[in-house]
Amino acid sequence: MSETMTADIADRPGSDPAAENSARSETRRQASSIEMQGLHKRFGHDTVALDGVDLTIRAGEFFTLLGPSGCGKTTLLRILAGLEAPDAGALAVGGRDITEVPPHRRSVNTVFQSYALFPHLSVRDNLAFGLKMRGLPAAERNARVDEIAGFIQLGDLVERRVDQLSGGQRQRIALARALVCEPDVLLLDEPLSALDAGLRGQLQVELLRVQQRLGMTFVFVTHDQDEAMVMSDRIAVLNGGSIQQVGAPREVYERPVNGFVARFMGHDNLFAIRARDGRRLTTALGTLDAEDPGDGALLLIRPETLDLLPGAVEGPNHLPATVAERLYRGSHAEFRLAVGDTTLQAMVSNRGRHLPEVGETVTVTVAPEDLVTLSE
Amino acid sequence: MTKRTLHRGLAVFWWLTLAFLYLPLAVVVLFSFNSANSSARFADFSLRWYHRLMGNEEILSAFGNSLMLAVVSSLIALVVGGVLGYGMYRHRRRRLGWLILVIYLPLVLPDIVFGIAEMAFFVQINEWTGWLSPGLGTMIIAHVTFQIPFVALIVYSRFVGLDPALFEAARDLYATPRQRLVHFMLPTLKPALMAAFFLSFTLSVDDFVISFFTAGPESATLPIYIWGAIRKGVSPEINAIAALMIAAVAIAAMLSLVFSRRRSP
Repeated sequence: MSETMTADIADRPGSDPAAENSARSETRRQASSIEMQGLHKRFGHDTVALDGVDLTIRAGEFFTLLGPSGCGKTTLLRILAGLEAPDAGALAVGGRDITEVPPHRRSVNTVFQSYALFPHLSVRDNLAFGLKMRGLPAAERNARVDEIAGFIQLGDLVERRVDQLSGGQRQRIALARALVCEPDVLLLDEPLSALDAGLRGQLQVELLRVQQRLGMTFVFVTHDQDEAMVMSDRIAVLNGGSIQQVGAPREVYERPVNGFVARFMGHDNLFAIRARDGRRLTTALGTLDAEDPGDGALLLIRPETLDLLPGAVEGPNHLPATVAERLYRGSHAEFRLAVGDTTLQAMVSNRGRHLPEVGETVTVTVAPEDLVTLSE
Repeated sequence: MTKRTLHRGLAVFWWLTLAFLYLPLAVVVLFSFNSANSSARFADFSLRWYHRLMGNEEILSAFGNSLMLAVVSSLIALVVGGVLGYGMYRHRRRRLGWLILVIYLPLVLPDIVFGIAEMAFFVQINEWTGWLSPGLGTMIIAHVTFQIPFVALIVYSRFVGLDPALFEAARDLYATPRQRLVHFMLPTLKPALMAAFFLSFTLSVDDFVISFFTAGPESATLPIYIWGAIRKGVSPEINAIAALMIAAVAIAAMLSLVFSRRRSP
């Protein structure tokens, strides 16, 4: 939990009356770890959704499954929920094997992408549904619903009808409906993807606040790498039904293990290494010195590690370039640079210094410690 | 100009269609209130024929049979058709459209063929086993048979209109299979089931041919009674029965429409 980059933006418990509720809840609730071993899933004859997934999610972790559509992240989440059975492999939550346990007997709840609020029920009855199915008496159900409504700050939404709610409100009701059951693990299937950017940012912060207060294990599915980096303690990047890399957001972004992860995390500056002489790497850009290059076949240069010097300057790791395109973004500017017969993306923060114009000759420099290699 | 003529022509056509559809019904309803014993001349407004109906044992028994047949067959069709509709929804990926076609097929046949076939079948079974002697029982079976596809289709299309994640949400929120039926499926389906019930009811009350062939001596329904009575000559009493049936069917059809338009209670 200490690794999280986002701890600062979430409220800390103590100053808020709702914190008392959460402290009370924590005594009832225990975060659980999740262990997956050799999970396989195939649909029909030729669609492999999961191709042997081994993964351990720690108790109380905000864990994200990240990947393009069809990578298997949703199938994995559905297997955790019990809505899909794996063809092979085992799944344990809190040390207990639940591979064969049907969803209604799992202490795992899901926030669905479409929210899936019952249209025939009021918001209050939606929130109380799980508790009612478990046979809690009405008085206790109401108390728990009021408690969660205070915690998520639903206000008077609780007394409305489902069709009177906006998208953002539905999302929060769906979250509250799952949380009120106090599951060992909460699953979130792209819960923010249907919302506009502003609301999305707001709810990201709220989700983090909830997760940190409750200390519950969250498994979050998204295809948006920015969202994954903001929210997660750790990220698993999936492709073609198998896990490519698991790590903290910085690790996955700064040290991607292969070309797929690098491209998915938004990196464009990938260059095939043509020749290698110790730590000297030759690519289409020219020859660069790396501090600890590793033995991958691709060189990754992150745009934000580049510096632009005006004019032609000689030196180690200095590359002559011409500005082909400049996108001014206020806080920073993005450049497309022509280097030899290839192009290089650079991002320069706007500290009030000269920003080169299109057509200008510049020199690109990069520090050897910022150069990373990875496999294809 | 030609467009205007066309539009006028269409309007005339429309009013003619309505007239042919509704004028005869209007005449029947009007003459059911005729004080004279004539179907040609309207004398005074009177409820004479309605009073006469109430005193006619045969008509009351036919009315009772019709009601019993419609209610019981509709309820059975609701259960069987509902289960079929749910099954079609659950296995919708397997392309079961042909299933509905197979069930529909006998309905496209002329009713008289279907009715005779049912009758022959029931008689055959009756000879072998002694069960299914012609009467309300055989009529209920025959009616359920043609009501099922309508119920199944209504239920199926309601399910298809739902977010599939709702079914998963119910499982995810600890509902056992039984609880899913009671707390999710039935309440969600309620409008569709009401619509299906009233449609089945209408179909049953409407039916003459199939009822005629599957009925027994004691189980004449209103249409069968009317058929028998008319052969002895048209009595204004028949107008009164017809007017009541028009009202009953119109109300049931309207209720069916109201419930099928309502998405959730």
